[in-house]
Amino acid sequence: MVRWSADRGLQARMLLTMFLLAAVYLIFINVILAMGVGIQGVVLIMGVFLFIQYFYSDKIALASVGARIVSETEAPELHELVGRLCAIAGLPKPRIAIVRTDVPNAFATGRSQSSSVVAVTTGLLRRLDKSELEAVLAHELSHIKNRDVAVMTIASFLSTVASLIVQNIFFLGDRRDRESGSLVAVWIVSLIVWIVSFILIRALSRYREFSADRGAAIITGRPSALVSALMKISGTMARIPREDLRRVEGMNAFFIIPTGAIANLLSTHPPIEARIAALERLEREIL
Amino acid sequence: MGFLDFLLGSTKLPQPKSERLFAIATARITLEAKLGLKPTGNAAICIKPLESSTYERTRAEIEDLLRLGSREAGTAYRLENDSYGYLWVVLMDPEFEDLVSGVHMVVRSLTDSGLGQQLLCAVYPFSNGFKVYWIFSFKLGAYYPFVPSSEKPGRERDGALELRLRSVMAEELPIEKDVARWYPIWEMPL
Repeated sequence: MVRWSADRGLQARMLLTMFLLAAVYLIFINVILAMGVGIQGVVLIMGVFLFIQYFYSDKIALASVGARIVSETEAPELHELVGRLCAIAGLPKPRIAIVRTDVPNAFATGRSQSSSVVAVTTGLLRRLDKSELEAVLAHELSHIKNRDVAVMTIASFLSTVASLIVQNIFFLGDRRDRESGSLVAVWIVSLIVWIVSFILIRALSRYREFSADRGAAIITGRPSALVSALMKISGTMARIPREDLRRVEGMNAFFIIPTGAIANLLSTHPPIEARIAALERLEREIL
Repeated sequence: MGFLDFLLGSTKLPQPKSERLFAIATARITLEAKLGLKPTGNAAICIKPLESSTYERTRAEIEDLLRLGSREAGTAYRLENDSYGYLWVVLMDPEFEDLVSGVHMVVRSLTDSGLGQQLLCAVYPFSNGFKVYWIFSFKLGAYYPFVPSSEKPGRERDGALELRLRSVMAEELPIEKDVARWYPIWEMPL
């Protein structure tokens, strides 16, 4: 229970960070425009950003979490497992990285199928058995196969461009009657556009998680292994109480647990329950 | 609770949500077909501790009701107190439908005599070598599964199986969404 609340706090902080990051981004663009750099200059800067994001995102992602690429002699079992799954999925074998943290997690990065990296944490390796680990790796390989890094990079780029375009409808208008009032309006509009696209990108990300789950189930042929891995990672199982109902009733326990509607809207991953339900449906189809 | 009640602070206690209790009658078929789980031939209602005067009256009322009911359907019954001071009405009948209607009868009678608030839960046990309990909470108005672990001794539960039960039965039973409210009941008298 303690670990759960700590995770929630972290999620809230990350969310705040992302909002602030975007706000900074907007301020940045507006300052440039105000300095009279002009649209061409802004587009050029955006292009450089996209270039960096697209070609260095894997290195940035790996460095930011402290992932270390491991060779075949360092982690033979992991390499063997990934190699076998790649043969089934028809993918070139990606590089493998390990992150030293007890938080169970895995991710895939890299702009193309051949330059990809699959990273797993030591916490994940410790908690999951072989079939569960196989399912998680297959999920990450599905991300690579679906080219999700490229898709998400382009999607977020378009969102930034969209907010820029909205601003330029105003800026390209009659400059003589532009007052401070309209400048405020520009800010509000660009912020709204950005928030909406932010939510949409998050939704897109969640759909791609579902399809990666589906891909993992198809590669391994065992949706139930991924279900069991998801339950272990999320700690859903740990949330089921052991305290007797009659004792809780006697203590007049209040049931105030916030519903996750807004959190769901903003998260990159669908709720575990929804992912498990989708996998169970898939299992019924396969069987 | 309406907005005006909220505004004026005249809070009414929520009535027990028992209308969804019946869902177990049809869910039982799926439980057997998909998971090989069969009803154990008994079911129970758990009632919160009452004041002594009310307690005697309620107990007599339930006994009268069950005596009448058992003559028709052949349902046997037993009343028992547990260590928490809760009253258990245990019904026994090989026909699952009779158990369901027996439970419903007791629940309606208690609600009619203004004791709906005292209803804690109804329990339907199933078995397939191991025991699975479907607990209906009157406060939540929903069911949730409870499977004591057959591997580990003591007060351990089989969470993996419970979550699997939820996904298999999600379409047929109203199941409490928040697993943190799936409070178990240990050492049930059935």
